Amino acid sequence: MTKTYIHGVGMTKFGNHSDRTLKSLLLDASRQALEAAGRPKVDAVFVGNFLAGSMSNQEILGAIVANDLGLGYIPTAKVEGACASGGIALRQGILGIMSGEYDTVLVAGVEKMKHANTPDVTQAINAAMDTESNEKHAGLTFPGFFGVLAHRYFHETGATKEHLAMVALKNRENALNNPLAQFQKATSIEEIMNARLITEPLGLFDCSPMTDGAAAVVLSRKPSAIHVRASALVSGPTQMQDAAELLSIPAIGESGRRAYEKAGLGPEDIDVIEIHDCFSMTEIIAIEELGFFPRLEGWKAVEAGHTKPGGKKPVNTSGGLLSRGHPIGATGLSQIYQLVHQLNGTAPNQVKGARIALAQNLGGTGSYSAVHILERV
Amino acid sequence: MKVYSCCGHDTVVKRIYCPSCGTPDLQELEVSDHGTIYSFTKIHVPPVEFAEIAPYNVVLVQLIDTTAKVTGRLMGEVSIGDSVELDRVEAGAYIYKKV
Ligand SMILES: [Zn+2]
Repeated sequence: MTKTYIHGVGMTKFGNHSDRTLKSLLLDASRQALEAAGRPKVDAVFVGNFLAGSMSNQEILGAIVANDLGLGYIPTAKVEGACASGGIALRQGILGIMSGEYDTVLVAGVEKMKHANTPDVTQAINAAMDTESNEKHAGLTFPGFFGVLAHRYFHETGATKEHLAMVALKNRENALNNPLAQFQKATSIEEIMNARLITEPLGLFDCSPMTDGAAAVVLSRKPSAIHVRASALVSGPTQMQDAAELLSIPAIGESGRRAYEKAGLGPEDIDVIEIHDCFSMTEIIAIEELGFFPRLEGWKAVEAGHTKPGGKKPVNTSGGLLSRGHPIGATGLSQIYQLVHQLNGTAPNQVKGARIALAQNLGGTGSYSAVHILERV
Repeated sequence: MKVYSCCGHDTVVKRIYCPSCGTPDLQELEVSDHGTIYSFTKIHVPPVEFAEIAPYNVVLVQLIDTTAKVTGRLMGEVSIGDSVELDRVEAGAYIYKKV
């Protein structure tokens, strides 16, 4: 089977780009990745994006990248999978190379959200729910789902709101060292615990922010130092009331199992991890689902510091969605950006000698999960 | 309240095929309008269309005599384990009240 390697990564600063357009962010990250890869001939482009149509009145993102970068008349497509759009676009690129159809693929992700107000963005993001369902009509939101999950998690374990705060604080501390992260102001457990409530028990710091930004990756069948060892994607329940077990997000667990099987590796082999902490609660569930810690005990690992940069399983050394920021379509690729730097030894919060890295990108409330495992070769 | 049942799994969501055995003939059961709060959240930051009623609780209700849970809305204070009853269906939403 054809193997896939990463030749270059690019990323804009994440945050508020009120002076720039969606297109300029997308082209900026794409150009950085192409130059890092030595300007190879590109055979196809996949773009991960969720809201450009509804919030920027802009589609045809694949064709825009090919045209404005002068890549020629090549196949391109936009890929949508809510917050997993970037991870799914990456997988489409990998599959295109594995099939033998393309030698080199550019994958980019972008989102521009900061120009809109919170209620409008909340409404637009709700497109990633089943809009015909009674739970949408009840007024459930994404942070609402994770609030319901958190209350039950507290009920069944010894975890409290303070454990959620520890996740948020860790990710903020990591972001302080990442010049591309959205939030670079120090905080404290007290400030996090006392912040205004969004969806109880989640407060402001438990929720990923609205962010503008873009990230990009160049993939090729030609060898490089970074090998894509596994790519996995699954769909899961689209409604909270349909989950067999509320405290399990089966798409995360199943995508992890498939990725480990393809890679011939297990959770014990992973040196550094970027996971989809759209909410502080999500990070705790994901470290359990991916097998890094036992079920219903992720909060203990957080308390013990095991997920900090110097810990047993460093999670979200970039600052994660909570503090690096969450420009929806770009998030999955910004995880890869951080992990490639980790494997090259050039990352903020560098994990010494990191050789195997895992990225997990979630869409909706568990509607999609993509897992990629990278190795330094 | 109606639930759809097959292979020992009941849901309020009506699927075209059973995800376990593939049959299109899922059994339709009428179950009690009573249940208990499995979990909940109080939503302070709502989407535009719910701005006027915020803050409100979205509740996940464990129905009685079935494995099915249903998502609804409930105004006022609520805790896990509270007994609730379906009060009405309003604009496609199940509105619960405490009993
Ligand atoms: Zn069946």
